[in-house]
Amino acid sequence: MTERVLVVGELLTDRLSGSTVEAIGAGARLAGGASSVVGFLAGATARSRAPEFGRYGVTEVAILEDPACEGAPVAALVTAVVAAATELGTETILLAGTSFGRDLAGRLAARWGATAATGVTEITRVGSTLELRRPVFGGRATETRRIEGGRAVLALRPHAFPSATEAPCETRLRPIVAPAVPELLRAAHRTGLEASPGGAGPGLAEAAVVVSGGRGLRAPENFRLVEELAAALGAAVGASRAVTDAGWRPSSLQVGQTGKAVSPQLYIAVGISGAIQHLVGMMSSRVIVAINSDASAPIFKVADYGVVGDLFQILPALTNEVRRVRGQ
Amino acid sequence: MEIVVCVKPVPEGETRLRASADGASLDPEAVKFVLAGYDESAVEQALLLKESLPGSKVHAVSLGPAPRTEEVLRAAIALGCDAATWVDSGPAASPDPIDVARALAAALAPLPHDLVLLGKQAGDDEEGLVPAALAEFLGVPDVGHVVDLRWDAGRSRFTFRRAVEAGQETWEAPAPLVVALQQAWNDPRTAKLPAILKSRKVPIARVPPVALVPGVGRSQSVRFELPPPRSGARLVDFQTPEQAAEKLVKLLREEAKVFP
Ligand SMILES: Cc1cc2nc3c(=O)[nH]c(=O)nc-3n(C[C@H](O)[C@H](O)[C@H](O)COP(=O)(O)OP(=O)(O)OC[C@H]3O[C@@H](n4cnc5c(N)ncnc54)[C@H](O)[C@@H]3O)c2cc1C
Repeated sequence: MTERVLVVGELLTDRLSGSTVEAIGAGARLAGGASSVVGFLAGATARSRAPEFGRYGVTEVAILEDPACEGAPVAALVTAVVAAATELGTETILLAGTSFGRDLAGRLAARWGATAATGVTEITRVGSTLELRRPVFGGRATETRRIEGGRAVLALRPHAFPSATEAPCETRLRPIVAPAVPELLRAAHRTGLEASPGGAGPGLAEAAVVVSGGRGLRAPENFRLVEELAAALGAAVGASRAVTDAGWRPSSLQVGQTGKAVSPQLYIAVGISGAIQHLVGMMSSRVIVAINSDASAPIFKVADYGVVGDLFQILPALTNEVRRVRGQ
Repeated sequence: MEIVVCVKPVPEGETRLRASADGASLDPEAVKFVLAGYDESAVEQALLLKESLPGSKVHAVSLGPAPRTEEVLRAAIALGCDAATWVDSGPAASPDPIDVARALAAALAPLPHDLVLLGKQAGDDEEGLVPAALAEFLGVPDVGHVVDLRWDAGRSRFTFRRAVEAGQETWEAPAPLVVALQQAWNDPRTAKLPAILKSRKVPIARVPPVALVPGVGRSQSVRFELPPPRSGARLVDFQTPEQAAEKLVKLLREEAKVFP
């Protein structure tokens, strides 16, 4: 049985999001090859950007050229994704695990008669049964859920799946005709965007490397030590709540129970004690490094590597070393 | 304004987790379930709106088993919610999230709702699926990652901000609306003792479990595992900061293989 898998693409200004490329890879493994993956794109540029799927061996892309899909609630997108999935007869839709995919998953599943899961880190298929693993309780436990047949919408945890391999090919377009979305569902709309400072770097949720600073930095002006290391690593900047509550940095950078949950390949915690509310936001990172002057700080219990020392000495040295090794 | 706030009993933050005897889900024995995290800020947001708009009512709704679900509803009433509805899930350990949304929607549809507030995800399963699915079943638009929700009475619109990867978006929307809140930006209040005592006497409406809709995709939890305890960090020993940096980078490149 060649089951096709639909991957809903998330477009950044210059490329498909990294999580989308991971979803293509996961879809290819699930469906037995990238040629069984069908892409989906919506928006005014859907047609011109569809070939970006072709880079990864995806031969067909369903497109909805509706400019109204941008800056509108996802409800507008759902109708078209469902139309595409129905046309293709697919049972599985994969999404990037960024806020884009997480926002879409619930409504899409409800409309399509599917189940859904987010933060998925593993998918295995046995016959028509899918088994998923996903971290719960902020990485303090892992649950396995089983779907015995039927439709499924799965949003993948960023970095949990390897990116699709590049295998450029021609892509066929499949324009989707979607029924009009009721006015009511279009009523919410965006009126403005204020880019976050450091918006040039990768977003926190998607970044492969995150460098976070805590109260140990002592003053807002010292936080640049964290930002310089992040810049050298091409990493996103995060912060503990002590930092965002004090107003040193905006709350959009806060990692933890009441901030963002991140799961990068590498998480570097600088001057962060490791309160449980912080840990639940970063504990499922692949490798954790802690830099702290207090050897008994709880962060060292969850870290893989630790440097017990004064961050004001360690950070500049580390930034220099990173620059040297990366040839900057 | 008629506000509905959906809450979920979750294990208290520091609870020690343990798998149930069959290994399929969390063992609820010895776990203290509370109103927590995002749900607390959802209740706080509901109460802030109620206070700013005279004549408003807040109705708390929760789905789950006895007795924990009734307990969190009483906690919500003690904080200032006016009424509560308990959707009895029966003893099912971890129902499908879309089924949960379907059952909540059925319970909520007959209640007046200009605004339905939820936390963006629960602190236990972290699915974050219920708000949007609930909105779909209600036929109402939804927005997620919301902070700082206000009602602009002059223009009859909600205004709010959304924290997304790219930055802060500003949005507006008319009622009815389903809103999933991003984080505890609003410093939730705590209940006063007299209110806690009074909340014990407030009647809570109970909705029996709804039958599962056949023919839709559905998932169930089959394993719940705790990671082996972390052995603790390997400490880099060093004489100078330069040496620490050099050793750390070498470990990340050659051993952990995560150096970008
Ligand atoms: C309901 C609730 C929700 C919360 N949500 C979150 C959340 O989402 N995210 C979050 O982060 N927190 C959250 N918190 C707060 C959390 O409990 C901690 O207070 C917070 O994480 C502490 O931040 P910190 O580690 O930066 O500061 P501290 O705990 O003060 O730690 C500072 C660390 O810096 C070290 N240090 C000091 N000087 C140096 C130096 N020169 N060199 C190296 N190290 C140094 C110290 O040894 C110490 O370990 C929440 C709390 C509550 C009650």
